[in-house]
Amino acid sequence: MTLDNTISSSGLGRLFKGQTAIDFYGHRRIGLYTAVIIVIVTVVSLFTQGLNLGLDFEGGDAWDIPASETFGVAEAEQVLSDNGISTADARIQLRSSETSDVVTVQVEELPREQAAKVTADFADAAGVTSQDVSFSFTSSTWGSEITKKAIRALVVFIIIVSIFISIRFEWRMALAAIAAMVNDVVAAVGVYSVFQFTVTPATVIAFLTILGYSLYDTIVVFDRVEENEGKFAAVRMPYQDVVNISMNQVLMRSLMTSFSSIIPVLSLLILGSGIMGAVALQEFALALLVGMISGVYSSIFIATPLLAWLKRDVGRKTYRDRLVGDDLRAMVMGAGARARMATETAASTDGEGDDGERGLVSTGIGQPADQLLTHPPRPRKKKRR
Amino acid sequence: MRRRLWTSLIGVVLIVLATLVYNVATDNTPILGLDLQGGVSVILAPVEPASEQDLIIIRDLIRDELERRGIAEPDVRVQGQTIVVDLPGVRDQGDALSAVDVSGVVELRPVVNFSDCPAPDTSAPALGLGEDTATTVAPATSEPAGFRRPQSPPADSLPTDSIPADSIPTGTTPTDTSPVDPVVNEPVPVTPTVTGAELLPTRDGSVVCVGPAQGTGEVFSKGSAQLTGDQGWGVAVDLRSDGQATWNALANECYNATPTCPSTQPGVRGQIAIVLDDVVQSAPQVNQPNFAGSVAITGDFSKAEAEDLVNVLNRGAFPVQVEAQEARTVSASAGSDSLQAAIVAGLIGMLLVVVLLIAYYRWLGLVIVGGLIVWAGMVFSMASFVSGWTNYALSLAGVTGIIVAIGVTVDSYVVFFERIKDELRNGRTIKNAAPRSFKMTWRTIWSADVVSLIGAIILFMLSVGSVRGFALYLGLTTICDLLVCYFFTRPAVLLLSQSKLMQKQEHVLGMNVATA
Repeated sequence: MTLDNTISSSGLGRLFKGQTAIDFYGHRRIGLYTAVIIVIVTVVSLFTQGLNLGLDFEGGDAWDIPASETFGVAEAEQVLSDNGISTADARIQLRSSETSDVVTVQVEELPREQAAKVTADFADAAGVTSQDVSFSFTSSTWGSEITKKAIRALVVFIIIVSIFISIRFEWRMALAAIAAMVNDVVAAVGVYSVFQFTVTPATVIAFLTILGYSLYDTIVVFDRVEENEGKFAAVRMPYQDVVNISMNQVLMRSLMTSFSSIIPVLSLLILGSGIMGAVALQEFALALLVGMISGVYSSIFIATPLLAWLKRDVGRKTYRDRLVGDDLRAMVMGAGARARMATETAASTDGEGDDGERGLVSTGIGQPADQLLTHPPRPRKKKRR
Repeated sequence: MRRRLWTSLIGVVLIVLATLVYNVATDNTPILGLDLQGGVSVILAPVEPASEQDLIIIRDLIRDELERRGIAEPDVRVQGQTIVVDLPGVRDQGDALSAVDVSGVVELRPVVNFSDCPAPDTSAPALGLGEDTATTVAPATSEPAGFRRPQSPPADSLPTDSIPADSIPTGTTPTDTSPVDPVVNEPVPVTPTVTGAELLPTRDGSVVCVGPAQGTGEVFSKGSAQLTGDQGWGVAVDLRSDGQATWNALANECYNATPTCPSTQPGVRGQIAIVLDDVVQSAPQVNQPNFAGSVAITGDFSKAEAEDLVNVLNRGAFPVQVEAQEARTVSASAGSDSLQAAIVAGLIGMLLVVVLLIAYYRWLGLVIVGGLIVWAGMVFSMASFVSGWTNYALSLAGVTGIIVAIGVTVDSYVVFFERIKDELRNGRTIKNAAPRSFKMTWRTIWSADVVSLIGAIILFMLSVGSVRGFALYLGLTTICDLLVCYFFTRPAVLLLSQSKLMQKQEHVLGMNVATA
């Protein structure tokens, strides 16, 4: 038998081996405070400066400029940037028919004088008179009807998902998952409001992506909580402990998943918009990045502590202190419901506070894991052939 | 057991490969959105000057109508005095022009005569109208019997269609409805000669002479029209409270066969033509002088014809009529580099993820690589098929959405492998751990993916535009995730765990295990 189950002496090592004993429930206030701060910042920002709605929501100015061999999309972009107008938010298209080609430029509404100057500049650049450049206002493409329908769909979605989670798990989990999801979307909207990024239909899609991702991540975590709940039901394990154990067990999975979700988005942000210069991707990727980090964070620090708090005295008869330190570690490592601490020293570490990760001094560390377990797994018999 | 695993593994790979080859061979690729590929732009202009408010209304109506017809994510906006409709995934300008040929104005006009206009001649009415003219109007609550006529009737059989007003159940008689009575009593201006009469085509190509419009589709309350199918297809529609007066005034005229709405042949009441963009859709006979609340139009409609009428009535009429001016092809708005950048960045991101996962999970990491390739092929094939059927375009947001979906897909492997690790730590062999772990993992993945699927279905059903497109691709990637997880990952990992290769390993998933 070559099991190398020594409790790793480094935090990272313990993480890899699934030996962490972090008291997530004990740190629930961190999650709560961050969530409150995020919500306050977002709400204040929304009320003071609102969202910077883009062309598709608010309409703007539009020019139709006759295209020629010397004047195309690139030249139009040049004129805009010469006038200090961001080309990232502009929409420049070449419209061609058999008879003539036109470059259509749409930007967010400009002051009249600036618009007039841009018109003249376009005419200059295209080598035509100002009369040949048609200037008009353009309406939004995203009518209020679309928003209305999307919101209605969202409300229905939340209701049905709540029902589904309530049936598959329970209503408290539904509540906690929805709360975490709202937090994530609020965080992403907050980023857009605070930094005044332009909101486009793509941004709305990003928000929806975040919403889906957040729910997905929370469900995966809750599934483990529910599984452990059944496992520990016989010993009337306080719910906070169940949550702590489950969280430590899924911690590595959460981190791996976050890395593998965030790396492509980071790549989009750094490579796509940074190095390759596709500015259209930048703000979208940023929204996703914030939302996904928030999504993973909220599953761990908001959804589950909230769940534990909601269930703090459901069906539990024993009220004892939460498991911390090595007691928790033993449970995380799957010692089973009836496990006792094998080492007396490890069992008497109550003075150590509630921080498992701080518990580098924890006596269990460096010891073979077997010592933590009363019933170490029976060594496998030699395979009979 | 092993054989079934191999079947599943090889089967899924072959199917994905086959569909991929099919799609590549038939050049069936997903339609790209306006921002990535451009499309065709059609400029519509109102025939008479219209206020901005009217143009905005028309914009929304056109948008709805296009979506209803399955043209996904059109970009419709008012620019100056015109309406610009950008259609993704359309390459032909002619197609685009016919696609945005959205009919606008609904008019209610009395039928003066069939065939020619100038002098109404009641002696020999030409039976010019097709089957949809043999329609009757009755209160929605009453079901007139025997209104159907033979498919190709001789001219003299037409009168038998009419239902006398007194045969209508008393519950729906006009006298019940006091609000409309004053209007009915209003003297109708009777002009000896019908001025403003026009010869209009019907849907089957014949012509009908109709008097001037006495009302528009506005008299019906929007969204109330319903298909009725008890005795042949028909349409039931509610009158708006303010439209009832207009409708009843006209109905009264026709019922009494006043000169403005004469009886086209003896014994037949006058008929009201429902005209859509100068084409007579239906010319129902009026069977009672006034109507309370709702109107039922029944007759020899085909189902499609009745549906069309329902659509037009439900959508509401345009305030002014618009005409297509020109079609132009339009270039990608996001710039051609955007898609390329997104794809390159996505691929590099995927590569980095794969490197990370292989470094972490070692041999089993190879399963992830295979799984991601199968998943990507499946998503591509499904997207190609779906955009062939539904015309949903893949926009830049969609591409990035798929890149995000990589994360969710990888998650199912991570959940699975972390679970295997847990089991290994408890001293199980890999051969034993893998099937147990999959059982637990499948439960988790299934629950989480169903939530995503619910979201996708609801957003797809209830929303419009790009939100709908997003929902479609969310649903697609989620389904692919589930399929790959069950039909590829499961057999691959189980087979690998039973293989000699894994049995001999002392390090699985980067950790020491008990070797058998």
